[in-house]
Amino acid sequence: MMTQGFTLWFTGLSGSGKTTLSREMEGVLLERGMKVELLDGDVVRTNLSKGLGFSKEDRDTNILRIGFVCNLLTRNGVVAIAAAISPYEEIRQKNRQLIGRYVEVYCKCSLDVLEERDVKGLYKKARLGEVKNFTGVSDPYEEPSNPEIIVETGKETVEQSVARILRTLELMGHIPVSGNGAEYSPEEEEEIKKRLKALGYI
Amino acid sequence: MLGFLRKPKKRLCVIGLDGVPYSLLRVLTEDGTMPAMAELCAHGHLRSMKVTLPEISAVSWTSFMTGTGPGTHGIFGFIDLKPGSKETRFPSFRDVQVPTLWDRLGQKSKKSVVINQPSTYPARPIQGVLVSGFVALDLRKAVFPARLLPDLKRMNYETDIDTQRARADQDYLVQSLHSTLEGRRALVDLIWDKEEWDYFQVVITGTDRVQHYLWNAIADTAHPFHQAVRQYYRAVDRFIAEIVERYWKKAGKEKGLTSLFLLSDHGFTGIKREFNLNAWLRQEGYQRLEQATEPRLQDLSPDSRAFALDPNRIYFNRKDRFQDACVETEEIGTITQEISEKLLALLCKGEPVVREVFRCADIYSGPCVAHGPDLIVLTYSGYDAKGNLLKNDVFTETDLQGMHTWDDAFFWSAEPVDGDLTITDLAARFERFLS
Repeated sequence: MMTQGFTLWFTGLSGSGKTTLSREMEGVLLERGMKVELLDGDVVRTNLSKGLGFSKEDRDTNILRIGFVCNLLTRNGVVAIAAAISPYEEIRQKNRQLIGRYVEVYCKCSLDVLEERDVKGLYKKARLGEVKNFTGVSDPYEEPSNPEIIVETGKETVEQSVARILRTLELMGHIPVSGNGAEYSPEEEEEIKKRLKALGYI
Repeated sequence: MLGFLRKPKKRLCVIGLDGVPYSLLRVLTEDGTMPAMAELCAHGHLRSMKVTLPEISAVSWTSFMTGTGPGTHGIFGFIDLKPGSKETRFPSFRDVQVPTLWDRLGQKSKKSVVINQPSTYPARPIQGVLVSGFVALDLRKAVFPARLLPDLKRMNYETDIDTQRARADQDYLVQSLHSTLEGRRALVDLIWDKEEWDYFQVVITGTDRVQHYLWNAIADTAHPFHQAVRQYYRAVDRFIAEIVERYWKKAGKEKGLTSLFLLSDHGFTGIKREFNLNAWLRQEGYQRLEQATEPRLQDLSPDSRAFALDPNRIYFNRKDRFQDACVETEEIGTITQEISEKLLALLCKGEPVVREVFRCADIYSGPCVAHGPDLIVLTYSGYDAKGNLLKNDVFTETDLQGMHTWDDAFFWSAEPVDGDLTITDLAARFERFLS
C-alpha cells in the first residue's frame, strides 16, 4: 500500500539548525521505511536554482522552485523535506496552498545566539558588509504566522526537536505511531473519558 | 586520611497532596485534624502557591515535574486538539515535550523513586522507579522497571479509585480512599530500602477525589460524612508522619528537615454553579452547532467564531489554524476584547462570575504556545467553568461539590521562600539542591 506523501518544510535564519534537523528527520523517516527526498537550500542553489542571486525576486523564485518539486514528490507518495531560509511569508503560504499536505517547521533561534555561534563566519562577514543581502542582518526575515511546529534550537537539544517533529507528524496522521502500547486504544480512550467525566473534567 | 571519607549522600524527599488548598491545610493543622502537618508547620514554613493555568492536575503536575509552563511542556489539559484539527484526543506522558526533573537528575547519575505521579502514564524508563498515577489504566504500562510488577500485582496495588462508582456511592468512596492510601503505604514500604535513591516522591491523589465529591462535608459538622472525611485527613496526616520519620532516619533529622518538601498542585473550593462556556458562547452569538444531537467540535458551523474546551480554555475558530473556520488573524484583537469585556460583565444572580480573562500569548511562552488556546477564563470561587458542548444552559447545578482554584495551592519547606511562588519554580530548586 502506498502511503501518502507530505512536505516537511524547515524555515529559519542561517545557522538555525535547518540542515541538521532535516538530515536527522531524513534518517529517521528512512529508517521507518518511508520514501524520502531532501532538498537543501544550499544544495539546490548549485543546480536547480543555479545562477539565482539574493534579490527578493531571485529568493522568491528559488523558494517557489523548491515548492514545485516538493509538490511533485508529495503527490507521488514521497516525503519531501525542504530546508531553506525561505524568509517571506507570502511565498511560504503560496507553497503551502500548492502542496496541501505541508508541515512547516520554524527553526527559531535569536540573532544573538546565531551571531555567537556563527559556524560559517557569515554573520561576521555580513556585519562587516562583506556579504550583501544577508537574512537577519541586511535582509528581512518574516517569522511564520502559524507554523505547525516551532523548534527553539537555541534552547533545546536536537533529540528534543526531532521528538517534537515526529510526535506532531504522528498526531497529524502523516506517519504511523511508533512504539508498542504508546498510544491509547479506543477501549482505553473510552475508559479515560469515563474517569474524567466522573471527576467533572470533561 | 580525609581522602577516604565518603561525602554524605544528598537526598531529597517530596510529598504531594493532590488538590489540597493552602487555606484548608491552615484549618486542618490548627484544629488538630493533622497534628503531624502542624508539627512541620511549627518547624518550617507553610505558604500559598500559584499554579499554571488551566488549574487542573494534568497541567499543574506536568508544570511541576518539568519546571516549565504549558507553552513549553505542551500539556494544556486532560483533553486537547489534534494539530490543525478540531478533533479531540487525550494527551499522554509521551506528549510532554521537555525532560522531567527526574530525567535531568538521571543525566547526573542521580536516582529517583516517583510514586503515583499523575500525568506520567504510560510510564517510561527513568534512572530509578516510576509508578504512574492518574490516568494510569493498565498496571503493566504504569510501572518502570517491569521487575516490580509482580510485587505490585501481589499487593493488589490500585492506581486510583473507581471514580464513576465513587461519585454515586459515597460509602464506597470513603472505603476506597483508605484502601488506595494503604496501597501507597505498602508500595513505599516495598521500595524505601530496597531501591537506591537520591530523590523520593510520593503523591496522594485521594485528597483531590474526596474534595470533588465531599467538599461540603469538610466544614459542615452536621454532614453525614463529616467524620469520615476528617478521618481520611487524619489518615493522610499519619501517612505524612510515617514518611517524615522514615526520611529523618535515613537522612538525619537536621538534613532531613531541610531536604523535605510538601506541595499540592492546585487549591479547591465549593461549587455554586457550573458555568458552561460553550452555552455562553452560543447565547452571545459566537457559536452555532450544525448538529443538535451528540454534537462534537467538528460539528460546529463554519461561521462559529469561538469554542471552549474543559475547563476554561477558549479557542477562536481561526482560519490560520483550522479548516471550516471564519476568524481572520486581523480580527483576533477585536474578538479578544469583545469576549473579555462581556465575560467580565457577566453576572449570575447578581454576582460577578469571571475574575480575569487571560490572553494566552501573555501568560504562556515557548514553542507550544501556538497549540494552546487563545484565552483562559479565570472564574470567581464557586463558578466552575466547563467546556461541555452538550449543555444548553449557561449556569447549571451539579452533584459535584468541589472545584479547583488557581492561587491557593500550598508549599511547605523548612526554609522560608520569599516572594511570589509558582509551581514551575520548584523543579529547578530541587535540582540545585541535589547538585
